Amino acid sequence: MEEWRRSVWRRVLDEFRMVEAEVSRMEDELFRLMREAEERSGCMTPLYNLYESGDEVRLTADLPGASKEEIGLIAGEDYFRVEAPCRSPLRGGEGRRYVLHLRLPAKIDPKSVRARYKDGVLEVVAKKKVAGYRIKID
Amino acid sequence: MAEAGGAEEISIVEVEPIQGRDLIFIEGFPDVGLVGAIASSYLVDRLEMREVGYIDAEFLPPLISVRNEQIKELIRIYHKNNIVAIVSDIPIPPHMIRPLSQSIVNWIKRKNGKLLISVSGIPEPNRLDIERPEVYVLGNKPEITEMLIKLNGVNRFKDGFIAGIKGMLLREAVRAELDAAIILAQAHYNYPDPGAAGQIVSYLSKILGVEVDVKPLFESAEELRLKLRDLMMRTDQVMRGIQKSRELELPPVYL
Repeated sequence: MEEWRRSVWRRVLDEFRMVEAEVSRMEDELFRLMREAEERSGCMTPLYNLYESGDEVRLTADLPGASKEEIGLIAGEDYFRVEAPCRSPLRGGEGRRYVLHLRLPAKIDPKSVRARYKDGVLEVVAKKKVAGYRIKID
Repeated sequence: MAEAGGAEEISIVEVEPIQGRDLIFIEGFPDVGLVGAIASSYLVDRLEMREVGYIDAEFLPPLISVRNEQIKELIRIYHKNNIVAIVSDIPIPPHMIRPLSQSIVNWIKRKNGKLLISVSGIPEPNRLDIERPEVYVLGNKPEITEMLIKLNGVNRFKDGFIAGIKGMLLREAVRAELDAAIILAQAHYNYPDPGAAGQIVSYLSKILGVEVDVKPLFESAEELRLKLRDLMMRTDQVMRGIQKSRELELPPVYL
């Protein structure tokens, strides 16, 4: 490769790295704040996935060390709240709780919510609330 | 011995020289469900492999891990008989993926390695309904795939994407004419998945001709998942930077 091209490439690469370093710095700040809040309150935010597809809103949350009987799940029109004690001998150990409070991307019908807890993963599925007029297509 | 890897200075250091013929290299960098990381660490532990070296690079975060009052490198190399395992405590930052995969392949090539095996998870949206995750294999040439498929109960990886260092290692290996393969198990995308890792370990043990009891892995699964939450979170961040979600898609077909 010619010298000038190499130096341009090098500069682009350096630019890339700076952006990556900045993003990673911001992420790290986020982790720190989350960690500190968790340590202070004794509440852990579980890993989770929330998405809407078609006429459903679906949440899964990783709650290892919890038990079906002890999971508290509240569904509102626009939120899910999951609470559960975490029975684990790890760091801090007993007394730690999972708490997840999520605002939903769409309004749901709370009566339609179904949930199951399997292999340490909680799955919650809700039907979206449909309100509107049916329009005839010409 | 150190490997200089292009623009990025990467050193693969053998504190104790790794010698032997027909060496099989297993790599378990963290990604989908941390399947590779869990499987490779478990193998190292159960086979009582010896820590013999490490990989260092200019742009790795300035971190060490401390375990049991012992200072550990972030990316460590273990060895026993003809098995060499690379285990990492961090996900590989996106800009390091290409130079690192080149360095690893060159290094294995120089050591006359017989095979490089990447271990990973294949994201499965219906993982919750699957009791026994399926194992998929893909070699970087048909003969390797045929050799790996001979063992019962595994499937061919036919179409799809492989993102990140696992994909780059396969590609570099093709270019360097090094035999390589990837072994994947259906797994949760961003929850640590010891169940999937267990399937991989039992399959790997058959290929490697070693005996490994996977029961303890399943028994401590919930605790392990809790311990690995932080690494999973960090890994998830990195996976977003390398289009890992593409693994849920199929390559475009026009005919």
